[in-house]
Amino acid sequence: MARILALTGSPSATSRTEAVIEHVAARLRGQGHRIALVPVRDLPPGALLSGDATQPDIAAVADALASADGIIVASPVFKASYSGLLKSLLDLLPQFALDGKVVLPLATGGSLAHVLAIDYAFRPVLNSMGAEHVVQGYFLLNQLVTMSERGVTIEADAEARLLSVVDGFSEVLHRRTRLAAAS
Amino acid sequence: MTPLTLAVVTAGLTQPSSTRLLADRLTEAVSRQLADEGRQVDVRVIELRELAVDIANNFVTGFPSPALDAELEAVTGADAVIAVTPIFTASYSGLFKSFFDVLDNAALTGKPVLVAATGGTARHSLALEHALRPMFAYLRAVVVPTAVYASSEDWGSTDAEGLSGRIARAAGELTELLSGRPSTGRAVDEVLPFEQQLAALLPKS
Repeated sequence: MARILALTGSPSATSRTEAVIEHVAARLRGQGHRIALVPVRDLPPGALLSGDATQPDIAAVADALASADGIIVASPVFKASYSGLLKSLLDLLPQFALDGKVVLPLATGGSLAHVLAIDYAFRPVLNSMGAEHVVQGYFLLNQLVTMSERGVTIEADAEARLLSVVDGFSEVLHRRTRLAAAS
Repeated sequence: MTPLTLAVVTAGLTQPSSTRLLADRLTEAVSRQLADEGRQVDVRVIELRELAVDIANNFVTGFPSPALDAELEAVTGADAVIAVTPIFTASYSGLFKSFFDVLDNAALTGKPVLVAATGGTARHSLALEHALRPMFAYLRAVVVPTAVYASSEDWGSTDAEGLSGRIARAAGELTELLSGRPSTGRAVDEVLPFEQQLAALLPKS
């Protein structure tokens, strides 16, 4: 069992990214992990964008992140990269906030043309924050996601690929907790 | 000739800020080089720090406040843009990215842009090439070949290969892209009265 924190960077109140993360969280809970979701949108935006790391809600996220084993970093793709909102939270974390952690990057976007944003935009930032292992990420096309009151429905092939990436992340976390218990 | 318009977007979080200082040095270099070619330039500095709350509110409401809208319009209507950000976690700052997130996708199409950044060490210089340049490429801007990175130790250097040299070279590249371009200044737009437009369409008798 590992502790996981999921950061989602969509500014939208009806966010696909968030709905997809809830779906992913259910999968991870089923595999014995504890997971908490942090929509960056719920943090005070003025403090985020003016760089106030002492704001209590933001400081609480930094504390939760420090004690987590795995981090999910999810964002819609804006201008071929992660959202500015997500980045404004990352900017307020300690320089090596991801030191020793396993990180899963996830993106949602409207065009397959932006799949590489995971590897050229998300990954360098996560690595620079000291992440020990940034596992395979996944880019989910908006058109394959349907939202309803009951949650989210993802087109079958895309869902299978997403969940296989999530399972890979889960497996790395399980291996680490087993290793930690054995040592 | 109508003066060219230059929008300078700067994302420093402190006051005074080295990001603003770099923006000012670049602006001065561009203005001087344009003046050498006999061109006047109107500069508009956009301090994103002062717009942080407006940008945040735009996320919630979906539309910009009048103050933010005026700055977005200034960038959209400018002949050229200088964009300067501090580098955090090997990339542009969240505030910098948030401003461009709310800017229209077509606002920078074909527009000459000079990109620059400040950082504590030279280790993150390449953020300009792997983070800023791709974002402006997505926005179809014409980014000058020399991107200017200033780390803490650069500020004292006066050598021609150092920061001053890079500023002069980048400013020269932006000036070259602007030379010969007429200003897009709205003052020159002339509205042809409807009667005249109609008359032009009528067959000559």
